[in-house]
Amino acid sequence: MIFKYIKAGWRNLKKSKFYTAINILGLSISIATAILILLWVQDEISFDRFHKDYKQIYNVHNIWKGGDKEQISNNTPGPVGFYAKDVPAIESSVRIAGEYSGVISLKDQKDVYSGLSIAYADSSFFRFFSFPLIQSSKPNVLTYLDEVTISETLQKKLFNGQDAIGKTLLLRKTPFLVTGVFQDMPQNSSLRYDAIFPMAYLAKSFTENGGNGVWKTIDEDLGNYYFDTYLKLRPETDPEQAIAQINNRFIQARDGNTNTTFKLGSFADKHLIAPDGNKSALRMVQIFAVVALLLLFIGAINYVNLSTARAMDRAKEVSIRKIVGASRQQLFFQFMAETFLTFTLATFVAAIWVGLSFSAYNSISGKSMVFDIHNSALWILIGSALLLTVLLSSIYPAIQLSSFKPISALKGRSSKPKNSIFRKGLVVFQYTTSIILIICTLVIQKQMKYIREFNLGYDTSYIFTVPLNEGSIENKSTVETKLAADPAIVSYSINGLYDPMSYGNSTGDIDWPNRPKDYALIVGRATIDKNFIPLMGMKFVEGGNIKGTPADSSSYIINETLAKQMGLKKPYLGAQMSLHEVPGTVVGVVKDFNFNNLKTPIGPMVFWTHRFAGTLYVKTTALNAQKAIEKVKAIYDSYPSEQPFEYTFLDSKFDQLYKSDLRTGLLFNIFASIAIFVSSLGLLALATNSAQTKVKEIGIRKVLGASIAQIVKLLGREFVVLLGIAILIAGPLAWYFSNEWLANFSFKTELSLWIFLVGASIALLIAGITIGYQAIRAAKVNVIDSLRDE
Amino acid sequence: MSTKNMIKISNLQKYYRTEEVETVALNNLNIHVKEGEFVAVMGPSGCGKSTLLNIIGLLDDLDEGSYLFNDIEVAKFKERGRSDLRKHNIGFVFQSFNLIDELTVFENVELPLVYTNVPAAERKRRVEEVLEKVQIMHRRNHFPQQLSGGQQQRVAVARAVVNNPKLILADEPTGNLDSNNGNEVMQLLTELNEAGTTIVMVTHSEHDAKFSDRVIRMLDGQVIMETSALKQNG
Repeated sequence: MIFKYIKAGWRNLKKSKFYTAINILGLSISIATAILILLWVQDEISFDRFHKDYKQIYNVHNIWKGGDKEQISNNTPGPVGFYAKDVPAIESSVRIAGEYSGVISLKDQKDVYSGLSIAYADSSFFRFFSFPLIQSSKPNVLTYLDEVTISETLQKKLFNGQDAIGKTLLLRKTPFLVTGVFQDMPQNSSLRYDAIFPMAYLAKSFTENGGNGVWKTIDEDLGNYYFDTYLKLRPETDPEQAIAQINNRFIQARDGNTNTTFKLGSFADKHLIAPDGNKSALRMVQIFAVVALLLLFIGAINYVNLSTARAMDRAKEVSIRKIVGASRQQLFFQFMAETFLTFTLATFVAAIWVGLSFSAYNSISGKSMVFDIHNSALWILIGSALLLTVLLSSIYPAIQLSSFKPISALKGRSSKPKNSIFRKGLVVFQYTTSIILIICTLVIQKQMKYIREFNLGYDTSYIFTVPLNEGSIENKSTVETKLAADPAIVSYSINGLYDPMSYGNSTGDIDWPNRPKDYALIVGRATIDKNFIPLMGMKFVEGGNIKGTPADSSSYIINETLAKQMGLKKPYLGAQMSLHEVPGTVVGVVKDFNFNNLKTPIGPMVFWTHRFAGTLYVKTTALNAQKAIEKVKAIYDSYPSEQPFEYTFLDSKFDQLYKSDLRTGLLFNIFASIAIFVSSLGLLALATNSAQTKVKEIGIRKVLGASIAQIVKLLGREFVVLLGIAILIAGPLAWYFSNEWLANFSFKTELSLWIFLVGASIALLIAGITIGYQAIRAAKVNVIDSLRDE
Repeated sequence: MSTKNMIKISNLQKYYRTEEVETVALNNLNIHVKEGEFVAVMGPSGCGKSTLLNIIGLLDDLDEGSYLFNDIEVAKFKERGRSDLRKHNIGFVFQSFNLIDELTVFENVELPLVYTNVPAAERKRRVEEVLEKVQIMHRRNHFPQQLSGGQQQRVAVARAVVNNPKLILADEPTGNLDSNNGNEVMQLLTELNEAGTTIVMVTHSEHDAKFSDRVIRMLDGQVIMETSALKQNG
């Protein structure tokens, strides 16, 4: 019986090639795009869930309270992980500290490898996480001071694929013995390292270098926040209780004098929820999942609309089958089988689309996803999405077609009005989703444009940065003389902003007269020289620059936000303050500038001249950029160092900040366009069918003198009314969704009325083209032919 | 011909309703058809012949009255019961043949057997037998559009009889055929009747009516006359 159903279905598909092509094309594009989106979604939600005990793993966040402000971040001081050992509810813990040089060399410093992701970790690391060790020379790695574990890829890179165990590599001139090789950390891991060094080594260096004031070991040092601490709780443990014990220990250790507390964030949420609770990444994943569902719905609606609109074509067949004995159930299954056949074909074509577009998709989405056929979660996701679509598409037409009364249907009468209201409802839904998608696309584009053109408060063009080597730093004045003499260099600055996005480093060690007792601030601070502010093109709202004289040591330059948060009154100049207990005077206030992505509000910032300055900023011109780089490299190379010369242009660095937003925006726009296209395909088919069913009416009207324009109006009227209803529904919804999305940005574009008008006009235009073409064709048909057909 | 009634319809009322008007299609109609009988129903267009045929074939409901099929009251049967009774007892032949364009001759004829779950081998045997009988075996793999009208109607007759129904309902079976093809179809129906099948045929043609045992004449939804026909044999 099933074979017969499929055979009949196949012949029906062949018979109406136009509609079959539209159905298969629309469905396959919907399915392929939905699969691609779901792959992306699955990849995003799979982050860090490959660890065996991921549900029990928590990331410790610190909450730094200053007045009514609160800053939450991932970093903790060393003792947090140390205290964890005494908390019974905590099964195990691990601390990770980044080694930012990223440079490893082999013996004699001949072969230098830079740009690596390196960290120090407690010896529990490989037992704590599920990063398999492929090879190891001892049962527990990272227990000695001079050992290191490296990734499979780094093994290949360093030792040409030869066995690395027992070989030596150098980090900051210190030799380490490779005792383990771990499988490359997967791309859906938020921890991705090329090499892991023992925390014991970092601890020893810390102590040898005198520690931090009274704190002589990393397990005591409450001042430095450079550890990521992870805790594995025992099953059924309350995270609140576990962290409360650590907080108590911390407060005791600080004699009750601290603005910091700690809280636990689920490791599984780390990728999508920021420590401060910002869920914009999660929201984007949800939006994409909804778009995938919408695409499948639109594909399904096309199918349902076409099947029901063309029901009359099948009426005769259904009637005959019923007359010769088919039961309603048998007919229902026949039509279900036809839908399954169509979907099987569409899925097959979709698989081809996915195959063809996969590498391009990876490059647009910036991921390296693989279609892993063993990934059962992926199959369940795709399978259920497909099944849902098939059921949505098949049940209604199957019920409708199998319910024909045989004699009425044979004579061309069907339950038309009810059916057409349902279909109109679907068309309105389809138009509504299209308009919402169009408007959201426009809003996203506007925000992307806003981001690109946002006035950051400084000028990043033709500025490159170079982390200086030890020799250059020691001979700073010679270096400066050489830089000043070079015509390719417009200006330069040696400062402490290794990574401008981190606003230097944050500190709470700031004070000023009349500071309320319980009011603390966390400020970004950076060491600068007199060239920095002019080089960056920052503007002063009051006062001016430091002078480059010894007097600078008691001068501070602050930004507007800090001035406000300190509660300073204008004029700000001359205000007294101290940073790390160094007293001084505010000599200048710069206009607020943005060093972060636009989702983060501008924070308070102070510039001073104390502490380490090891990063060179060079401003050049488009014409001289290459020469300037060569010149700086020559100066750099004149001081021997294991650290290779590296430069980064600031604008490309800032582009990176927005890359993920721009990328997601682009992806959304692509998916939305596809959804709109598939919708239009369905409407084209529907318009064609509508014209075909009105052939006789058009013929009679033409005989009676109707013009082509009048006929077009007749055919288009219904769709225009539906479109009008859709615009009314879509407008408020699109406004709501756009607002929700924009709420994730601290700096955002306006939602102007023109976006909605343009959105509606685009929808009208698309509908006009698809429907108008069919209407004109129908209106031009020879009257005699159309009447004879009847 | 047996003396037992296969069909006994009493006081049948059938209305067609629209929002504003109610039209009486069949009015207090009483007929009976005996097992093995060949009855022709005649009358002008719109007199209710086809409606009557559809009610007999359980394709349409009656509004009032009783319908006994082989002494079973079927007037109140639900869709499933009607479908069951239809597929085991009744074959249909239409003026416009009503073959399914997407199925071959063989498949069209096979359809009733498929829906009564006859095994494939048995289906093949029976379809071929009936196709031989209506002399269309050589066209078994053709599609309906590839056949002449007469051939299509022979296929329709083959389909109507393949399940060995007790009753064949024919609605103007020669209406779309020329006289030669028409006669061939009437000859086929006569042969079936002689083999024991009861036939009720709606027709406009006095010529075709002569093939029947009895003619029921209708006007405005009522039987106005019943006559025994002078049965002819082709």
